[in-house]
Amino acid sequence: MRVLIVEDDPSLAAGQRRALQLEGFAVDVVPRGEAAIQCTEGERFDIVILDIGLPGIDGFEVIKRLRRGRHEMPILVVTARDSVGDRVRGLDLGADDYLVKPFANPELVARVRALVRRSQARTGPKIVHGPLIMDTVARRCFLNGQPLELAAREWAVLEVLLARVEKIVSKDTIIQAVTGWVEDISPNAIEVYISRLRAKLEPAGISIRTVRGFGYLLVDYPENAPAVAG
Amino acid sequence: MKDALAPDPANPADSARKRETVGSTPPARRRPRSLRGHLARLLLPPLAAMLLVGATGAYFFAIAPATEAYDYGLVDAAHAIATRVHMDQGRAQIDLPAVAEQVVRADKYDMVYFAVRDPAGQLLAGDGGIPPPPPDAMQRDDVMLYDSVYWGDAVRVALFFLPCGEQRCAITVAETTVKRATLKRDILFGSVLPQGLLAFLTVALLVWGLTRGLEPLEVLSEEIRARSPNDLRPIDLSIEPEEVRPLLVALNQLFEEVAESTRSQQRFLANAAHQLRTPLAGLQAHTEIALSLPVTQACRAELEQIHQGTVRTARLANQLLALARAEGGAHRSAVFDTVELRRMAEDGANEWVHEALRRGIDLGFELEPASVRGDALLLREALANLVHNALEYTPSGGHVTVRCAKGARGEGALIEVEDNGPGIPSDERSRVLERFYRMPGTTGIGSGLGLAIVREIMQMHGGSIEIRDAIDAPKPAGCLIRLRFPAESGKG
Repeated sequence: MRVLIVEDDPSLAAGQRRALQLEGFAVDVVPRGEAAIQCTEGERFDIVILDIGLPGIDGFEVIKRLRRGRHEMPILVVTARDSVGDRVRGLDLGADDYLVKPFANPELVARVRALVRRSQARTGPKIVHGPLIMDTVARRCFLNGQPLELAAREWAVLEVLLARVEKIVSKDTIIQAVTGWVEDISPNAIEVYISRLRAKLEPAGISIRTVRGFGYLLVDYPENAPAVAG
Repeated sequence: MKDALAPDPANPADSARKRETVGSTPPARRRPRSLRGHLARLLLPPLAAMLLVGATGAYFFAIAPATEAYDYGLVDAAHAIATRVHMDQGRAQIDLPAVAEQVVRADKYDMVYFAVRDPAGQLLAGDGGIPPPPPDAMQRDDVMLYDSVYWGDAVRVALFFLPCGEQRCAITVAETTVKRATLKRDILFGSVLPQGLLAFLTVALLVWGLTRGLEPLEVLSEEIRARSPNDLRPIDLSIEPEEVRPLLVALNQLFEEVAESTRSQQRFLANAAHQLRTPLAGLQAHTEIALSLPVTQACRAELEQIHQGTVRTARLANQLLALARAEGGAHRSAVFDTVELRRMAEDGANEWVHEALRRGIDLGFELEPASVRGDALLLREALANLVHNALEYTPSGGHVTVRCAKGARGEGALIEVEDNGPGIPSDERSRVLERFYRMPGTTGIGSGLGLAIVREIMQMHGGSIEIRDAIDAPKPAGCLIRLRFPAESGKG
């Protein structure tokens, strides 16, 4: 998988490159926005990690030009400024997620992986999460190569969790996803589906965490990464 | 001026202390020489002198004609007696019947005495012993008028010389001064009393006018006194009397200069903190990579120290940033937005949940719809500080709960963060809100700024921070920190 890092600070760029290389990504680094636009003209990247405070054209301008150029790869904005306005502006222009400096490597890796997975799900039928493969077109699921039986509602719950790995998915969101084709459903029922999913997935090291009073979170699969889920 | 008022960017705590001192004893309390007193001192003496001269003048102008009238009466009496004197064989004789004498002597108030003497000085009729005129006695026509004392009473005397043959007879009429004294008193009251009353009224009017005239100034100074040191909004020029406009314009100019200087300090602080983040991010990335490589145990321990230091510095930079924003925020209250507390907590949850999972802490939410007027970024920072603190001090396996709720009737909305960690002893609770104060024996990576920043942010929103024992934890363990917003901003 190819990552383009647009970062003018050489030390941070090298750190990010190394962290992602250790996770098996192929990484290119450019220090300026103009160079980033040029790079993406000729080559295909799975994700762009973009610093906002760049010399020359800034990150916002880069997002605008990339999106105008019909590039659809996910863009992860990395910013030293944490003003709400900057975040909203970046996301409005077409960025997919943002990270405020400084951040831990595992977090960067998890965000990158989640974004890539999401964009793959948009473009292809298969969602891959460690040993789990979900074929959304054939509506079949595999765990460690073995077919995994999932009830329709379990499928719906897992699909919505997989679309937002490492992010909390609220109970309300899950209920909305599940009641797309059935009658009203109680929050307690969601707990039942979650516990069934856990029973099926946890033996394979896939972890769904409860955020009490709010929702659930599918933990990034800890392939080579230092354990995120303590 | 600028330099004295501007906070020292290198030492925010120092500047904060200064501001706190200023806040507790505003210089406006010291009362300078009042304009009212000054005007009174300036106007009252000449006014008093004018009144005095007026009263004196009125008295003497009134008293002279009045006493003259009485004098004429006295002279008339002398003339009346004179008609009874006639010459008989070269000798002066008087023929004064008892009735006539009674007429002369009759007076409602005063005793009237008279004496008629022949040219030889022999008493022909009347009372003896009326004193002769003093050398400086006033001479009017053929009559001398003078004051004297007779039988122990003050008397007014008229001495009239009547030609008796070749020589003159002396006719003296004296009258005690009861009438005259009464008249003088009446005139005195009649002129001085109204003048005094006029003076009193003038002073009262002056004081009233000054008070009325100065009222807008009082209102204005009250408004300025009530301001927080951070409130540098210009004063409205339209509501005040025109005379103070130049002062207000100058004040507004000063406010603007101070505000601009504060803004530039804040910009500097914000930029510095932002600039720090990128190298810190690089440092953190490299340390984490190093930690993931096979290194010796000793080396790993050192790397962990470096990593912790990096994380700590990064957080300090964030907190300084929040502090700069909170301090500069007081005059931005006009641009407060409606902040949905539930939404804010949910947004933050995604940032905190990873730390909670890493630490093995159960992070929970009890969120009700509630909104306040405020600065979204700062409120988020306040809540993040509370959650980070709770996660920091709660041991693995513990619980941290974030709550928000609409206040009960008449109360503002609230945010709570509760944990079942070691808690904060009652006697430490006020001190942990101070900047850079850390509880003895604290081991976390905190800077001691977190709660101070939360307090600052709440003050800016007119709210409060309260530390108490956790409700859910076995006493005395656990800590509950409650942020309470003012009632009016809790609606809507």
